[in-house]
Formats: sequence, C-alpha cells, structure tokens
Amino acid sequence: MLRRRPHLLWLLVPYVLFVGALPFVNRVRPVVFGLPFLFAWLMGATLLTPLLVWLARRGDKR
Amino acid sequence: MSGDAAIATSVFGVFMVGTVALGLFAVRGGRGGGLAGWSVGGRSLGSVFIWVLMAGEGYTSFSYLGAAGWGYNYGAPVLYVVAYMSCGYAVGYVVGPMLWSYARQHGLVGITDMISHRYGKPWLGAVVAVLATVFLLPYIQLQITGMGVVVSTISYGTISLNWAYFVAFAVTTGFVVVSGLKGSAWVSVLKDVLVIGTLGFLAFYVPFHYFGGYGPFLDRLVAEKSDWLTFPGHGDSGFGQAWYATTTVLNSLTVVIFPTTVAGYLGARDADVLRKNAVWLPAYNILLFVPMLLGMAALFVVPGLVGAESNLALFKLVVDSLPAWAVGVIGVAAALSSIVPMAVFMLVIGTMWGRSVLSLVPRLRERQKGASQVVVVVAGALALLMTYTVPNTLVRLSLISYEGMAQLLPMLLLGLVWRRLTLLAAGSGLVVGVAVVCAFVFSENDPVWGVNAGIVALAANLAVALCVTYAGKGDRDPRPDSEVLASDPLPLPLMESGRV
Repeated sequence: MLRRRPHLLWLLVPYVLFVGALPFVNRVRPVVFGLPFLFAWLMGATLLTPLLVWLARRGDKR
Repeated sequence: MSGDAAIATSVFGVFMVGTVALGLFAVRGGRGGGLAGWSVGGRSLGSVFIWVLMAGEGYTSFSYLGAAGWGYNYGAPVLYVVAYMSCGYAVGYVVGPMLWSYARQHGLVGITDMISHRYGKPWLGAVVAVLATVFLLPYIQLQITGMGVVVSTISYGTISLNWAYFVAFAVTTGFVVVSGLKGSAWVSVLKDVLVIGTLGFLAFYVPFHYFGGYGPFLDRLVAEKSDWLTFPGHGDSGFGQAWYATTTVLNSLTVVIFPTTVAGYLGARDADVLRKNAVWLPAYNILLFVPMLLGMAALFVVPGLVGAESNLALFKLVVDSLPAWAVGVIGVAAALSSIVPMAVFMLVIGTMWGRSVLSLVPRLRERQKGASQVVVVVAGALALLMTYTVPNTLVRLSLISYEGMAQLLPMLLLGLVWRRLTLLAAGSGLVVGVAVVCAFVFSENDPVWGVNAGIVALAANLAVALCVTYAGKGDRDPRPDSEVLASDPLPLPLMESGRV
C-alpha cells in the first residue's frame, strides 16, 4: 500500500510530533506567548494534525 | 429552592426535554431500513453529520470532569488525551474507509459482525460481543455518574445524585431506542454548538475574571506550578514520558476500532466522507486544552480538592463566578457530553447483541432490530442499577475497558489485511492479551515498568497470534481473499488514472 501511496507517510508525522519529539520538548521554558513550552508544542502539534492528514488526502486525490 | 437553583434547574430541564424532542425529530417521516437504518443510520450521513457525531462521541463527560481533574492533580500527563485522539484520528484516514467498505460490501453493522464474517464463525461474533459488552458497560456508568455530579452541582444541590443518574438514563433511552444513530447525530449538533460555545467562552472568561487576563494567569502558572507543566507532572503520578508514549500509541490504535467509533464510520454515506472527516476531526481536539488549563487555574482558586472532588475543578469555578442561567447552560453542555456518548454506547451494545448474539436464536433472527432495541434498554437499565447498588464493580471494570478493547486489534485489524492469521491464532492471542491486562490491572501494576500495561498485553497477544499462525497449518476456508479481507477503496481519480 505504501509503495503505491507513499503520501500516507504523512499520517505518521503526528506520532513524531506528539511522541517522538517528547524528550526534546518536555520543558517549561522558553515560554511561547506565555504558554509553557510543552503545552505550546503540543498545541502546535494539535493544530498541525489536520494539515498533515490533508497532505495525505491531497496525495490520494492526485 | 433558592432563586439561582430554580433558574439553573429550569434551564437544564427545558434543554433535556428539547434533547429528547430533537433526537426523535431525526426519524420524522418513515423509520424503515431495518437494523442498519437504526444502528448505522442507513449508511446515509454526509460529511457534516459525521464530523458532528464523531466529535460528539469523542468529547465525553471525561473531557469536562476527568480532564480538569487530571490537570488539577497531575498537570502535563493529561495531555495524553489530546495526543492519542489526534494520532488516532489521523490513522482513521486509512482504517475508517477500509472498515466502511468491508461493512458495506458484506452488509455488516459492527465489529462483532465483521469478525464473524472474517473468520466465517457466527459464534465468534457472539463471544466477542459479550466480551465487548463487559468493556463497554463501565463507560455507560461513567457517563451516568459524570452527568450525575454535574447536574447535582449546577442545580446547586436541588437535584439529588440519584435523580440525576435517572435523568441521564431516561433522556438517553428516550431517543436512542427509537432513532438510533441518526438521533444521536442530531443531538450531537446541539451538543457541539453548546460545547464549542461554552468552552470558547470559559477559555477567555475564567483567566480574565480570576487573574486579570491570560498573561497574568500563565505567568503565575509558570512561576508557581512549574512541576505541573512537564512530565511526569505533579506529585508521584507514575505517569512519566514512557507511560505517555505507550498510552498514546496504544489508545490511538484502539480508538479507531472502538465499537462506537466504528458505528460512526459505518454511518457514513461513502468512504470519502470519512477521509474528509479525518482531516477536520482532529481540529476539535484543540478544545480539550480548555478544561486542562482551567483545571490548573482551579489550583489557585479552589486549592485543596482531593479525590473525586478534583473532578469538579472546572465546575467549582463555573458555579463560583457565573450567574445561574449561565451555570445552567454550561451544565447542559456537560450533560450532553454524557448523553451523546452514552447513547452510542447503548446503541452499539444493542446492535452487537441483536446481530451477533440473539440472532443465533432462530426465532429472533428475523427480528434483529426489535431485539437490539430491547437490549439497549436492558443495558442502560443494568448500568443504572449497578450504579445504584454496586458502583465499585463497574469502576474497577472500567480500568480494563480501554486496554481490554485494545486486545481486539490483532483479531480485527490484522485479520482483515492478513489472510494467514487463523481463528485459533487470533483467539489464543486475544485470550492471552485479556488475561495479561486483567493480571496487571487487578494486581495494581498499571503502569508497569513505567509503561502502559495494555501495550505489554498487546505485545504478548501479538506474539502468541504470530507463533500459533506460523506453527499451525493455514485455515481451510475456501472463500477467496476478496471475500474475506478488507481493502481501502481508493479515491476515484487514482483508480481512473490507472495508477493502481
């Protein structure tokens, strides 16, 4: 399936952002717009997830 | 009854009557379609309804109570909820259309039905249905008790816990028995509007009311509560990074085969509705940050909540700072967050029994829908009764619910894409997996070695399934692969361009 639809790999990026990156982002500072870094990072990951799934879908539609 | 209590209770009462009416309105003009018409909405729901329904299912009473309570008690570990829901919804991009087309092709209405079909054994569906019911019943109770404490709090104690439990059961049963998945989708519309509106409002109101703005609130959080803000969180939580990582992976895979999620998938009009939904559904998760952050805000306003009281962290702020009518409206939003998931839980149990268990009785085979509707009432009544009489039994069971359901992953998902997996192998794996979950959880060793015990059980489950498969001879099922396995129906442009 991945050979024909390599764009599905976009769906694994949320795992990288939410899980893989954790050891590097598990910190309070720097503070981003007042938010502790970990919360800011995960909020960013939450906002990016729809975009990543959209990229997978775009690959399917081509 | 004080004036405030009368206002909040009236607002709540009006909305509850409205909820039942809205749920019943969904089936106006004809309620044909048999079991599939009721349990998966006749596979007719478009993008908007599917989004609303699945967002409605995912955002349960836990989101208002547990998420705030975890935020209050531990801080960062609560973020696992956002993590697994986001990752799971992304995985749903592939799994949703796959399950949808399998069910559509073979006329199936749920996961037990799919398992029966995959392995060609009706009794297997019945066994899995009973097991899944054991895992789902505690969730109904969690919704009942969750709604109970909310209603009793927002009515300023006027409505007692026991009455509130009963209202939860009565309102939910009142529409779901008649209108099934469609009714749940319609009620979800009201729910999502209220949830988005009230949480959006609280996200701004609470920090401004108590701290004079977001800046001062967050500054204070960073300065005074920094051990809440990274893993492993405040206190001796036991929920460190390894636990977060394993729980996110396990739950994100489990949520896509969770029977209620699958009910949502199967309700879709076509597979592309589900792909669109997988893009837009994760956006809803941003709302989960609100109760988490406000749970931590409660640390400054109502310090010293312990045990179950911490679950009310958010509502203490609401009752303390807002006028009665607003308290009522927010209470309705939280109550609907119990009602919608509870409706789908009951619906799914009813469907599983009607289709996979009771249909083994020849007399009931022709009356699957009626049998399912009876089971809905029985399952709800049973959960209500157990809430009154033996509440701790279901609380203990709820600890194994998610991790137990995860053990169906090899049998269902792997089975649907890998023909060699035999019934004996998948069954042995399931037995071992569930046994390991029970052993760890009931001996209070979850998390175990710092990781989620469910993932240890899943590894054992998978290992057994693979060993038994490779050790034994293949199955002798004569059906072709196209009949037994699932495939992801590709979007049309790709198929037309001949690139497949």
